[in-house]
Amino acid sequence: MSISVNGQSQVPPGFRFHPTEEELLQYYLRKKVSYEKIDLDVIRDVDLNKFEPWDIREICKIGTTPQNDWYLFSHKDKKYPTGTRTNRATAAGFWKATGRDKFISSNGSRIGMRKTLVFYRGRAPHGLKSDWIMHEYRLDDNITDTNISNAMGEAIQEEGWVVCRIFRKKSHHKTLDSPIISSITDETRTQQMFDSCDEGTLEQILQYTENSSKELERDSESGTIFQPIDNAGMKHCYQYERFMKLPSLESPNSSSGQKHYQIINNPVMIAENDQGLVIKQVSETDPNSDYKMDSAAAVTNWAALDRLVASQLNDQLPEDFKQLVSFDDPNMGYCPHDRRHDDHLEFPTLRSSSSSINRFYHIPRQDYNSEIDLWNFRV
Amino acid sequence: MGDNNVNLPPGFRFYPTDEELVVHFLHRKATLLPCHPDVIPDLDLYPYDPWELDGKALAEGNKWYFYSRKTQNRATSNGYWKAVGMEDPVNNSAGKKVGMKKYLVFYVGEAPSGIKTNWTMQEYRLSDSAASTSSTRSSKRRGHSKIDYSNWVICRVYERDDQDHDDGTELSCLDEVFLSLDDLDEISLPN
Repeated sequence: MSISVNGQSQVPPGFRFHPTEEELLQYYLRKKVSYEKIDLDVIRDVDLNKFEPWDIREICKIGTTPQNDWYLFSHKDKKYPTGTRTNRATAAGFWKATGRDKFISSNGSRIGMRKTLVFYRGRAPHGLKSDWIMHEYRLDDNITDTNISNAMGEAIQEEGWVVCRIFRKKSHHKTLDSPIISSITDETRTQQMFDSCDEGTLEQILQYTENSSKELERDSESGTIFQPIDNAGMKHCYQYERFMKLPSLESPNSSSGQKHYQIINNPVMIAENDQGLVIKQVSETDPNSDYKMDSAAAVTNWAALDRLVASQLNDQLPEDFKQLVSFDDPNMGYCPHDRRHDDHLEFPTLRSSSSSINRFYHIPRQDYNSEIDLWNFRV
Repeated sequence: MGDNNVNLPPGFRFYPTDEELVVHFLHRKATLLPCHPDVIPDLDLYPYDPWELDGKALAEGNKWYFYSRKTQNRATSNGYWKAVGMEDPVNNSAGKKVGMKKYLVFYVGEAPSGIKTNWTMQEYRLSDSAASTSSTRSSKRRGHSKIDYSNWVICRVYERDDQDHDDGTELSCLDEVFLSLDDLDEISLPN
């Protein structure tokens, strides 16, 4: 794309496009919807109906530095002229929304919404879930009067521009910023996860998933909440078995078949509140249960859980998928011995700005004049 | 490190890969080649406590980067860094080992009775083969062998934070749960 000359990356080594959600919304998308010129063509317009997620890697490449997320502007079009549903089908599959939309805030005020979508291969409702994820961000300009904006604003925004971040569900063992936990032995890792963990969080989730899988396996008994009705159900059953094969959290060396959690046949409810996810058991637990849950426990440590869940899920990925999430792909690497860097160049001092995004927005164009025009992002 | 001049568009940040840190920044430093961009400061002489790094080391997000030297005893005025776990090799894109990555945790107080903190360091050094070639080259170049440039390391320091910061770059855990619940869509509830 535009930040390259003769195929060579002009993004200096070590730097990559890693915008915050606030920057995506307040800078890039706001400029886009108001037809303001964006200095550099960093984010491209892409018709999501025409391209598969794996094609987007190439289309939305920034220079030649390795990337694990890709950004694009998309113009939503409706599936039916009169309806509000958005058409997100491609030739090979479709994007399906999951979860619920998340508010994006800046300095305490709401600036937009994020929708999470997953790419399925095939045709609904028989698609095969892939590990391609899209976060679709839309501006939310009608914050104050929610009653009207929900009716009006929704309709307007459905046709408007959105900015999307596309990525693959990460293996937490081979990412760019691999946390220290991923590099230590299994035992230590388990221990660390526990050290860093809100007591009971993992138990609850494991218990919940184990509970679900148990329910699925079993024929309908009293208290059963889920029943497999077809092959798809059985397949998911398998997925839950993966959770059951996690090493015991108490004693990492014990055999995986051993059950450490008493099965509770009560349904579990998941709700969201300000603290995060709350897992609530609908009725009383078995008093004999080793891990009796409180009526509600706020889950505060998602990072550890994320790693745990993702590491399990990623174990199911084919090898080539795993490779792609790492940066070992020789085709993606830039040339670090580039002689051009030997030229004397002034590089501006860099400071982090986690506190304010404003300082990023004043970019003096005249500062781009270095000897070899490293900063010439115009084509 | 004092001013806010950033010549990249919003959203560009210092997020180096392990390979970039070793091959671009560390190797060039060790072989006395100029580093462009020369953004990582040399704090070898200043054993700052981790919370003092802000404003001195290169800061990006909640991570700080600086050059230092290999040392057995990484002590600061209020504590010390202690190595944990195994070292990891750093490979280049061709799969060749170019460096090693070591993990340390900061303890407040005096060894060995210090109190463990959440401050974590990743210390990158050149692998032995790369280091030996660079030290011979540098000693030839400089003409005096007293200074061993292979001793340079890059330190990345951050405070391990167990809160989940959902910055949108990964699937949030909530979405992860919802996504697995999507699988249950086709499973009917009993009456």
